[in-house]
Amino acid sequence: MAQYFADIYEAVSSVLKGMRITFKHIYKKPVTLQFPDERQVMPERYRGFVHNDMTKCDSCNICAKLCPVDCIYIESEGKGKARMMTRYAIDYNKCIWCSLCTENCHTGSITMSHDYDHSVYDRRTLVYEFMDPTQETIPCHRATRIDMGWWVEPKEDKPKPKPKPAAEAAPPAETAPAPEAPPPADDKPAPGTPTPDDDKGVEN
Amino acid sequence: MDALIALIQNAPGAANMSAQALHNTAAALMATLMFTVMALCAIVFTWMERKVAGFLQNRYGPMRTGRWHGWAQAVADMLKILGKEDIIPAEADKGLFVFAPILVLLGSLLAWAAIPWAPGFVAADLDLGLFYIFAVSSLVIIGILMAGWSSNNKWALYGAARGAAQMVSYEIPLALATIPVIMYTGSLNTQDIVIAQQGGLANWYIFRDPFLFVAFWMYFIASIAETNRGPFDMPETESELVAGYHTEYSGMRFAFFFLSEYANLFLVSLIAVMVFLGGWWAPLPLLDVIPPALTFIIKGVMMVFFNMWVRWTLPRVRVDQLMHLCWKVMIPIALICVLGSGIIQMVRG
Ligand code: SF4
Ligand code: SF4
Repeated sequence: MAQYFADIYEAVSSVLKGMRITFKHIYKKPVTLQFPDERQVMPERYRGFVHNDMTKCDSCNICAKLCPVDCIYIESEGKGKARMMTRYAIDYNKCIWCSLCTENCHTGSITMSHDYDHSVYDRRTLVYEFMDPTQETIPCHRATRIDMGWWVEPKEDKPKPKPKPAAEAAPPAETAPAPEAPPPADDKPAPGTPTPDDDKGVEN
Repeated sequence: MDALIALIQNAPGAANMSAQALHNTAAALMATLMFTVMALCAIVFTWMERKVAGFLQNRYGPMRTGRWHGWAQAVADMLKILGKEDIIPAEADKGLFVFAPILVLLGSLLAWAAIPWAPGFVAADLDLGLFYIFAVSSLVIIGILMAGWSSNNKWALYGAARGAAQMVSYEIPLALATIPVIMYTGSLNTQDIVIAQQGGLANWYIFRDPFLFVAFWMYFIASIAETNRGPFDMPETESELVAGYHTEYSGMRFAFFFLSEYANLFLVSLIAVMVFLGGWWAPLPLLDVIPPALTFIIKGVMMVFFNMWVRWTLPRVRVDQLMHLCWKVMIPIALICVLGSGIIQMVRG
């Protein structure tokens, strides 16, 4: 009999406790973000869609070779100084967001963006073409790039192997743009590629 | 009803209507009004339920449809449901399958007739009003049993059996809890019950004596079980029975069950207000400026909110716990309330 009343007491008191807790939550500000209007600010090292800045890339193929799933397609024509890049594409169906490509790009042109909302109706559209070969081909050789007024990696910024092997002393390429070779204004990425503008939306 | 008849009589062109015609017009008007209120409360309360659930869980609930806090979401959902294909399973008992949702809706609609909205404004001013409400709302049980059985579906049958067991059981504490009030009033007429509570908060039946206070909570718990809502939503436990007795229903027929669920929710809340919480009387003399019908509805909506708050707080009980709670806890307590309240009335004279 005592157990019976103890059970009733416990039921009533625990129900009251629970009700009090949920009531407190009514006054708390909801944690929901209204997604397309408000966006979460991604952490700095968030790995969003891989983005390549085509004004910097010189088709060295490092990224394509490093990619464990072979999802970067680079094609070029010609040899030596006349070598021209005709295609740079990333297949996001395959990409595993491992970031191996971005960590080893010598020009710093390929980066992990903060983009993530690229839903598509057809998975074939997830192969992003970063350049339109009908519009323009991109020179690969350093000398040709300088001749044609393309951005090149500043020589002096490279870590000198002799004095000190402090690789981390080398600033990223973006912070020291080459003054003599600004990127040509007409070099827009091919349609459908994530532009740097997309990143701004992420920062809200 | 009398108030409504007087209203029609004063309307232009109604001066030479016969008494019978007047009565019929008033009845038709009242029935339309009740049905509109019922449909409206289903729409408003589905939206409210989702908002309350959202805010209790630090979310927003619907936010898009209709701009302001997604107010049009329930309207959109209703339109969607009306546009859905009406499917009757091949193996179902067609007659019962079709009739069940109508019976469920009828059960909740009939009970609305005896709800006193304001002084004189009650569709059926019955001497046995409260008894009538409990009697016709039992139709819902038959409807649910029919729906589950005729669907020819395991889940539906389980849900219906649970629903019938639960609702039949909980009707007992539900009715027992109102008996002390009936003893105080000396009448089953719903208007008389409200009129007896005139004169502010202290005269509401819930505060008349400690036994009535307990009886109110007995009524409240039983009413949650009667409306099949959480934590007693055994007939439609979506985690184990898909959707319980209305698993096989779709489109308009499903909407009937839905409508009846929310109409019942508002109904039991209104009965709680009518029987224990002073009906249309304002709690303070200060608030007497509010029209009585509005006071009544506001109180009802507050009770509905309370119901939702309970639903989104407590976990679902097991079937055996449900029956234990009813037969071994609530019925004895309700009986003690009847006895205790009777003794108090005797002592007070
Ligand atoms: S992130 Fe990894 S998988 Fe994706 S493109 Fe770069 S190397 Fe390939
Ligand atoms: S590693 Fe960098 S520079 Fe080389 S091909 Fe890839 S993106 Fe272009």
